[in-house]
Amino acid sequence: MNKHFKKRQPASVRPLTTAFLILVLVASSINMAQAGRAEVKPAYALVNCRIFPVAQPVIEKGTIVIRDGLIEAVGPAGKIQIPEDAELIEASGLNAYPGLISAHTNLFLETKEQSQTATPEEYLEALSQPAEPKEFPWLQIVEKIKPKKQTVEAYHRAGITTVVVAPHEGIFQGQSVVLNLNSDQVSKMVLAQPWALHINFTTERGVYPSSPMGTLAFLRQKFYDTQHYSQHLQKYRQSPQFLKRPEYDPFLEALLPFVIDKKPIVFQCNNLEEIKRALKLIKEFKLNAVLTGCNEAWRVSQQLKSASIPLLVTLDFRAPASSVYAQQGQAIREKAEKELYPANASNLAKEKINFSLTSFGLNDTNFVKNLRAAIKAGLPADQALRALTIEPARTLGLDKQLGSLEPGKIANLILTKGELFDEKTSIVKVMVDGTLFTYEEKGQ
Amino acid sequence: MKIKNMKVNRIKPGLLKNKNQLVFLAALLGLTLLGIYSFPLPAAAQTEDRTEVVAIVGARIVPVTGPVIESGSILIKNGRIADLGANISIPSGAKVIEARGLVAYPGMIDSYSWLGLEEISGVRATVDNRETGRINPQVKAIEALRYDSMHIPIARANGIVAAVVAPSGGLISGQSTLVKLDGWTNREMVIKESLAMIIELPALRRGRGEFAGFRGQQPQVTTEKTLDELRQIFEKARMYEKRREAARKNILLPPPDFDEASHFLLPVVKGELPVIFSVHADKDILQTIKFVQEEKIKAIFYGVEQGFKVAKEIKEAGIPCIIGSLYSLPPVWEDGYDALFLNPVILNQAGVKISFSSSSASTAKDLPYHAAKAAAFGLKPEEALKAVTIYPAEIFGVDKLLGSLEPGKTASIVLADGDLLELGTKIQKVFIDGKEVSLENRYTELLKKFEQREADK
Amino acid sequence: MREKIKKTGLLLSLLVFFLSSASWLLAGGDLLIKNATILTVTGNTIPNGDVLVINGVIKQIGQNLTAPAGVRIIEANGRYLMPGIIDTHTHIALSGTNEGTDAVTPEVTMAEVVNADDTSIFTALSGGVTMVHTMHGSANVIGGTNVVLKLKWGKPSEELIVKEAYPTLKFALGENVKQSNRTLLPGRPQRYPATRMGANALIRSELMRAKDYMAAWDRYEQLKKSKNPPANLLPPRKDLRLETLADLLRGKLIARCHAYVAPEMIEFLNLSREFGFKIGAFEHAWEAYKITNELKAAGVGISVFIDSWAYKMEAAEGIAYNAAYCTQKGILVSINSDSGERIRRLFNEAGKAVKYGLTQDEALKLITINAAKQLGVDRLVGSIEVGKQADLALFSQHPMSAYTRCEMTIIEGDVYFDREALLKERAAASTKKGGLL
Repeated sequence: MNKHFKKRQPASVRPLTTAFLILVLVASSINMAQAGRAEVKPAYALVNCRIFPVAQPVIEKGTIVIRDGLIEAVGPAGKIQIPEDAELIEASGLNAYPGLISAHTNLFLETKEQSQTATPEEYLEALSQPAEPKEFPWLQIVEKIKPKKQTVEAYHRAGITTVVVAPHEGIFQGQSVVLNLNSDQVSKMVLAQPWALHINFTTERGVYPSSPMGTLAFLRQKFYDTQHYSQHLQKYRQSPQFLKRPEYDPFLEALLPFVIDKKPIVFQCNNLEEIKRALKLIKEFKLNAVLTGCNEAWRVSQQLKSASIPLLVTLDFRAPASSVYAQQGQAIREKAEKELYPANASNLAKEKINFSLTSFGLNDTNFVKNLRAAIKAGLPADQALRALTIEPARTLGLDKQLGSLEPGKIANLILTKGELFDEKTSIVKVMVDGTLFTYEEKGQ
Repeated sequence: MKIKNMKVNRIKPGLLKNKNQLVFLAALLGLTLLGIYSFPLPAAAQTEDRTEVVAIVGARIVPVTGPVIESGSILIKNGRIADLGANISIPSGAKVIEARGLVAYPGMIDSYSWLGLEEISGVRATVDNRETGRINPQVKAIEALRYDSMHIPIARANGIVAAVVAPSGGLISGQSTLVKLDGWTNREMVIKESLAMIIELPALRRGRGEFAGFRGQQPQVTTEKTLDELRQIFEKARMYEKRREAARKNILLPPPDFDEASHFLLPVVKGELPVIFSVHADKDILQTIKFVQEEKIKAIFYGVEQGFKVAKEIKEAGIPCIIGSLYSLPPVWEDGYDALFLNPVILNQAGVKISFSSSSASTAKDLPYHAAKAAAFGLKPEEALKAVTIYPAEIFGVDKLLGSLEPGKTASIVLADGDLLELGTKIQKVFIDGKEVSLENRYTELLKKFEQREADK
Repeated sequence: MREKIKKTGLLLSLLVFFLSSASWLLAGGDLLIKNATILTVTGNTIPNGDVLVINGVIKQIGQNLTAPAGVRIIEANGRYLMPGIIDTHTHIALSGTNEGTDAVTPEVTMAEVVNADDTSIFTALSGGVTMVHTMHGSANVIGGTNVVLKLKWGKPSEELIVKEAYPTLKFALGENVKQSNRTLLPGRPQRYPATRMGANALIRSELMRAKDYMAAWDRYEQLKKSKNPPANLLPPRKDLRLETLADLLRGKLIARCHAYVAPEMIEFLNLSREFGFKIGAFEHAWEAYKITNELKAAGVGISVFIDSWAYKMEAAEGIAYNAAYCTQKGILVSINSDSGERIRRLFNEAGKAVKYGLTQDEALKLITINAAKQLGVDRLVGSIEVGKQADLALFSQHPMSAYTRCEMTIIEGDVYFDREALLKERAAASTKKGGLL
């Protein structure tokens, strides 16, 4: 470490440097006394691995240097100097990729039992209760997450190192958080909080709005109300005299940053019609929007192309109940779920539409399975990789920190034995925020 | 005669001055008594004298079981068809009904309806077709039949003269009845009081199963399990009878306690009372055929939406099929949009005896149009007509009375101004058991009432 | 008319601009249907007639017509060609039916929830139906705005919408709105209105609120334009519910009112006079035969079943003569299905009207030109005339016969249902695995 300082600093600053060093040492000792504070992480050098930086072409035999959770250097074996204090990780025969990002999950949330499993008695019992609308635009989902070590490890084995955890109830579902899967402690994991407001085209039960057209009218009215509220607030701030003050509305307050200040809104589109409905709303209110779900996006590709909106495309291939493929009997539905829906991503790729892939609706096992199916259905492997790295990083506004193996970015990477999307490939090591996780090979 | 004599004896000799007065009184009495015994009480106005001879002349006659007679006559005597043909002799004194330009058909028979059991389907107080509980062989549709239901005259006015009225719901719904659509009480309408036991097997599962908005799937009981359950119930009935029989023979043996279900199922297990099985999917039909053969019971199938897939087996088993309402969507999309219509065509072509039903009360009058719908998709028009006349008569064992225009059968005749199964045809007259019945009904009453508004102006 | 425009270059460019926004007109198909019994509906029946369709429009009707090369020829062989059937009251092709929570929800827009994936569209096509007025349900006193669709199976939802149709707002009265056939659950109190008088009072109050809303905006506009607008001037809150009702009062929407019993219709006619809004038709109108004078005088038509009655108390005095009798009294009558099942035998339902007093030609109108008039699209569809859109249905027998079946359904010159082709497909599939026949 001294070597570096000597190289970088002119002699005149040396006393200052020493003082600074002492300060740092003192500070770190204080830090170590307080649990959970960011510790200085070790340095690593991954050597002799085949590197897929994503932002640059593949490096056949290369070195990655990581220091204190950040990538210090990436390059071909000969060109990169390995620091003395770096722990050597022999990676010959292994591939290194940026850690995958799933930009839409409901990870670590306790989901309620679906009414599908309720008995008629329970259902009637529920019906007897006065209905309350379940809208949570103010909800910070980070307050609800309960990370579990097994889940973190399971997702590591699927290659995922970063997730967006999104709320999942109501129409205005709440605000999501971006997490690095570096541990099971929330404060260590948070990358961006909040990220976006999430809206789903669902309905309420027994209370307005209880129908798809009611939901659309409800959304539209709320957006208008937010605009009116903002107008009123502004005017009141400028000159309150003789002006009746706006009545405080927590719902509209929560919407102000997104509808007025254009912070990102994510619309969950569960079929092709919902994509069209979202696009219409986005255009009407000039929202800064992202579409998620999008499992029927290929059927609306022309409109998506001209709208040019970031897409988070799920790898869940189940046909929505409203789809024509779901209404003509079991055989046609199964055929569609085997042939058509897996080809969604590859069709978008053919139309030169940018998109990210997500694990929304899936667990770690069928995420991997479906990812392979999508590639088999025609999605080029390198595009799949970009759709899980740099594209979601860009959409999340974190492309300066994540999404590729470049110096300065966060050290999120995975080491695989075999090509990433192959059947027999296994994840050997995962690094998140510079913390190394080693996994035994499991015969897959 | 005795009374007459007694009367005469009581007359004081002084009152009858001469023989003529005596004769006059006797004649008066005689006529009165004749009147009392000739005209059945209490119904008076509607009932016409069935000893009356009626002749329908000049009609185009469609006997159904014989060739069409382009122009002919039908002679009615004592409520029966006495004669029919192109040139029959009509006795003098016969009431002649001029029927030129009209077509004479046998009255139609509805093979499954809720006539008299349902007035306004959405108002529970007026609905009597569905008892609560699963096993109800004891209930008899005839006992709930509301004979002055507004739907009966409407059906009758469209040429339907007889109908099966069936209970439904549960597994064993109860005993259906066969009635003619004329009578001052339900008992006067009876042709067969207890026609067949109704047993309903599980329906074909549709894509979305909803129970009043409840989206969960009720676990569907399979037909296989249901037939197992029936086997046990039938066996229980047989054992019940054996024990009762043994107790009858041996006074020392206590008879078994009254078992309602077993008691009322006995005619079924003995093979005396047929069962109408409401059955739908192809696999279920095959299982039910096997069941019927093993249990040695008489069976008729109803519904049979996928019967076309196993037509050969149904034919070999010799089980007739009542087609359910064609006012429905095919329960299985993959069978094709026209599966429901092609079904009776294929069954008929395979040699299965079919008949049509309205499966309704408020649209019972549409019976002929279900037949025509099948004809639109390939059923021979003559077969379609038979399937609402002679075939149901044969299926229900009343073909000696109904189903065709033949001498000896009851004079249940429809005079129409065109094809009986056509939508635009207007029925001019309906005879049931030789009596011309009124075609007035709820529709015509209300129309007349409000046509009056124009007249009042 | 088209010839005239060709002569005037200026008008031509305008027309091109207009047509390009209605791209369906230029995108229609070409067909020559030969030797059909053509039921024109508005004119005489043409035996052994030909119909030439170019770009989805009926170009020529006559005998021994020829078509340009490449145009598909359909040999009718005497079969019956009628205008595509129009169903003025359905709920198909929508993602939802009722916003049944509040009793007044005019802000919901059915045009936004069109679902072109609904297989009911195919079912309707198999019965010769080419156009539907698909609506909000009858759970609410004021439901939502409805939409008219062409059943272009396989096309994206936006291409189904018929923009020329009258924009309509759904009203409902009677038992459904009162929820009188529902079991009340604890925790879900009886919704207002529970009576017919409550329903009418609700309409009145809501329309008065709408009037106030319009007045508030007028006041704002006036103040804004004034020389010294007040400093604290803010526009009123935009309320989608009241906006829609205001559109009704402004005449931009017409009411389609579900009403069964005579007093409901009499009173709704009074409401329309009180507030000056227009009524497109009464839906179901089972007791219309009791008030033919009032309906005739008001110029309001009805959209009814023929004989599917006696399912509710309010349908207990519905008579099968209703449609025929009202037609004879000069009321514009259409027959509707209100059902994804009945829609495929709508032609049978109309055929029944012959028994109850109409001729076959009159009965045919109930599902073609009358329906088109009620929806405001009679310039475009509803009869077989040169210049109208080629929405056609081919039947094996006369469509008013019980023995007929629909063989082909055509919308704007494109074949959307073809029974012959379907049977060929089945035969090919069944040779593989033992199919239907």
